[in-house]
Amino acid sequence: MDRALRKCLEAHFGERLTGPIRQRNDETEMRIQPGDVPEVLLALHDDHELRFQMLSDLAGVDTGSAMQVVYHLWSDTTGDWLRVIADGLSRDDPRVPSVTFLWKGAEWMEREAYDMFGIAFEGNRDLRRIYMPPDYASFPLRKDFFLPDDASRSPAGGVRPMEQTHGPTNAQDEARIRQATAG
Amino acid sequence: MTTARSPFDIPAHASSDDPRVTLDEQLGVFEPIPPYPPRTEREAEFYTLRDGEMFLNMGPQHPSTHGVLRVVLKIDGEKVVDIDPVLGYLHRGVEKLCENADYHQAICYMDPLEYISSLFCEWSPVIAFEKLHEVQVPRRAEYIRVLSGELNRIASHALFMGWFALDLGGLTPILWSFIERDEIVEMLAALTGQRMLFNYFRIGGVNGDLNHEFMSRLGTWMSKATNQINSNQALLNENEIFVRRARGLGVMDTQTALRMCLTGPNLRATGVPFDIRRAHPYSVYPELDFDIPTRTEGDCLARYLLRMDEVKQSLRIIDQCLHEMPDGPVMAKLPRLIRPRPGRAYAAIEGPRGQYSSYVISDGTDQPYRMRIHDPSFIHLQSVGLLMPGNLIADTMAIMASLDPIMGGVDK
Amino acid sequence: MTVVGRTWDRLTIPGKVLAVVIPLGAILTIGLAIVIALVGGAVVQFLADNLPLVRFVVAVTVVLLMTIPSAFLIIFMEMKVIALMNLRYGPDRVGPFGSALSVVHGLKVLMKEDFTPTGADVPVFTLAPVVVYMASVMALLVLPFAPGLFGQDFNISLLFFFAMGGLTVVGLLMAGWSSFNKYSLLGGLRSAAQVVSYEIPLILSVVGVILLAGTMSLNQIVLGQAGNLFDWYIWRQPLAFVIFFIAVTAEANRTPFDLTEADSEIVAGFATEYSGMRFGFFFFAEYVNVFIASGLTVALFLGGWNAPFNWPFPVTVALDPGGLGVGLLLLIALGPPLAVLILGLPFYLLNSRLPFWQALVIGFVLFNLLAVAAILGLAFLSFDWVVGLLWFMGKTYIFVFTFVWMRGTLPRVRIDQLMGFAWKWLLPASLVNLFVTALAILVLAK
Repeated sequence: MDRALRKCLEAHFGERLTGPIRQRNDETEMRIQPGDVPEVLLALHDDHELRFQMLSDLAGVDTGSAMQVVYHLWSDTTGDWLRVIADGLSRDDPRVPSVTFLWKGAEWMEREAYDMFGIAFEGNRDLRRIYMPPDYASFPLRKDFFLPDDASRSPAGGVRPMEQTHGPTNAQDEARIRQATAG
Repeated sequence: MTTARSPFDIPAHASSDDPRVTLDEQLGVFEPIPPYPPRTEREAEFYTLRDGEMFLNMGPQHPSTHGVLRVVLKIDGEKVVDIDPVLGYLHRGVEKLCENADYHQAICYMDPLEYISSLFCEWSPVIAFEKLHEVQVPRRAEYIRVLSGELNRIASHALFMGWFALDLGGLTPILWSFIERDEIVEMLAALTGQRMLFNYFRIGGVNGDLNHEFMSRLGTWMSKATNQINSNQALLNENEIFVRRARGLGVMDTQTALRMCLTGPNLRATGVPFDIRRAHPYSVYPELDFDIPTRTEGDCLARYLLRMDEVKQSLRIIDQCLHEMPDGPVMAKLPRLIRPRPGRAYAAIEGPRGQYSSYVISDGTDQPYRMRIHDPSFIHLQSVGLLMPGNLIADTMAIMASLDPIMGGVDK
Repeated sequence: MTVVGRTWDRLTIPGKVLAVVIPLGAILTIGLAIVIALVGGAVVQFLADNLPLVRFVVAVTVVLLMTIPSAFLIIFMEMKVIALMNLRYGPDRVGPFGSALSVVHGLKVLMKEDFTPTGADVPVFTLAPVVVYMASVMALLVLPFAPGLFGQDFNISLLFFFAMGGLTVVGLLMAGWSSFNKYSLLGGLRSAAQVVSYEIPLILSVVGVILLAGTMSLNQIVLGQAGNLFDWYIWRQPLAFVIFFIAVTAEANRTPFDLTEADSEIVAGFATEYSGMRFGFFFFAEYVNVFIASGLTVALFLGGWNAPFNWPFPVTVALDPGGLGVGLLLLIALGPPLAVLILGLPFYLLNSRLPFWQALVIGFVLFNLLAVAAILGLAFLSFDWVVGLLWFMGKTYIFVFTFVWMRGTLPRVRIDQLMGFAWKWLLPASLVNLFVTALAILVLAK
């Protein structure tokens, strides 16, 4: 764990953080508003102390109540992976500014997140579906995605229908998922 | 609960078997232009033809697209003006499947991702699961992981050599390189029980200890590996036609490579010594002595030669692993059903193609709540669109092959 | 049902075939006999009066029939040799060492559906393979195989040869255009560009040989190289030989210049939409072209049918069996049994499990093989065309092997490299060669 990184991040983005900076194993995690993504990532990329010049991963997450976009960054100044979570995208109309101005290679990852979660990345000039056919209408990795699955009717006992596995069914489950995704 | 939106109201293609469709309408079916108005800026730009240009649809049944990739080329004579890769022909929804499998089962969905280097696909989720569950992996297991992983890396690079030569028109190298791969795959089969989809790494260790057949095959192979690899490379490295075609083709500079999120050999060929084995060490790599070869040219030849240098480093690592292999168990003590505490974990490893990483969210049940798989092939394939314009049709596949994408990984 | 019909139904299929064929054969035989009796004399007289015509028809037929087995042979050779270079087994199922596999390929190609794509220009699409194949076969007509063994000897046969070779590109272009496929179109246009570019250095490199030989008749050129190894034109025209071989490789669309059917780029080029025997014609034409390219190289630069040393042919073997008298009877009566015994004896002695009659059978077979070999050897020595054919074929197949070898080893060049090589290197080099040759002839003639 890199304490210096934590201090540095708190000093830089103190007012933009929406949650505490967490550190676990070799990962440092910070949460920001979706609207702050371009400024924060640009600062992380260009700041001569931080120099997070490599975008390792860009993932969408559906927490059941909101959407997240998760960026993993790497810099040679620190030993930690930096995870930037743009939290609290509305599920009905998830929008987040694109980072393709910084990393052109994020274009397809954003297309994938759009394809799977319906997250619209504003500023991505090629936001088409990438895996699913162009006339496909739903977003498969959302938790409310319904797939009439033959497995649910199969005689094999114990095979659970795909759509019911993670549906927030009761208060206990919801609390657990909140713990998992929000901290 | 939001219902699925339907953002595109698109008519499907007319079937060419439909008797009501006239020939003129059928002729349109052969054009790769989508039968709906462009949805994005980029699509509008790509599917507008200027004077003298035409579309050429390569794949998904083209003989040399690696797997089922479809590429729409916009060409002007022999010159490629623009390129639009179309993915999804091999999409299996592995991320969704993993959300419905428990942690042990999720590992076996990883193997078919990049079927050439299956062990690396297993490695990053396994590390992520171990972080989530806070498992300490026995040192012998770590050494076995490194040993088998480096063997797999050699097999993958050997195949790369063959494919690259095949896309440049050479017939023999692929069959010679398959000898290499077959020997490695046979010994991994002795170790893991499978020739292709090994499913060998487990949470907390590996599936089985080294056995006699594996060791004897490895010993036989190691004694001749260097000679064999050198003789395979001699067929290409000293071939004037091959070198002239690969040199100066698809040049990528350092800044562009970082902007395109490239990792692995493709990034190192532009001069950045970024290797996760050194940059962010995992497993027992900090204890091993090996170099990170880099090249500065950034062209196809550099990418090819860099991979061949990596093979030599992998042989060094294997040698050290064999000498420093400790005794002990190969599996940590774990319950059959794992229920990690709620939380998140990210793990990245350096595979033969670049960075393989997984981001796992656990909600405390026996199944991952969300499992994100990041595959280098997917990232590298999109830089084809940057490298292609201005080159010739003949170089499409060469440039693509030099980036070494595997469609199983691209399409997930 | 009539009596005839019921009987017909009871026949098996071979019976039905025979019941038709035998009466038909009988009728045809009788008819032919009547026709021969009536107009036979006139026909024979006509043929005797027009011998060149007969010779031409026979030559075309023989050459046409010859292409099929030679293509089979080269296809098998390519499969097997490349397999061995790739460290594979290659064909090993049909025939000895899989040698009949190419025949099976031929049959397969015959039986496959002949597919015409939607939107194709049907007449052109159908005609294209024929044009390609016939152009190759016509070029073969002037190739001198052995002394006196050639289709036709023009005084402009080299020109005819290149004209026919150039006709191939028309067929490829037709195929590329009519297929209604962009890959085909690209392949056809590539082949047009390639063949037109390489035609120039190809012909210019040969002009040196023409200057030396003073004729364009291939037969005369080969005769001009008679003598030993050092009389071949390769020693006087080494640069031309290199240029010619490179250019002829490009003309035959072989690796490393096989851009017209580059499978990793444009699927199969002009042949993408072809199937069945139409594809078979392209396939055969390609291998006939390989044979022609090799044969022409041999004829122009490597002495054609001439042996690499002064061959003492025809040899007259002076055997006079009559001189033996009664001894001849003894030789015929005792010689073969004695030879059988002597040849079988080692097997009987060395292998204790072999019964004596099996040793005798081995001896008998060996004796027969030896006798046949002796008779063939006598023919080989006595007829110059047999010797010439063997030398020619031997040299030609060395070059065919070279083509196959290149295919197994080399990657493909790019189209800009291909064109640049032809125009920037081969063309100037062939012009220099022509200039130097002409100068040398002038200087030496004075």
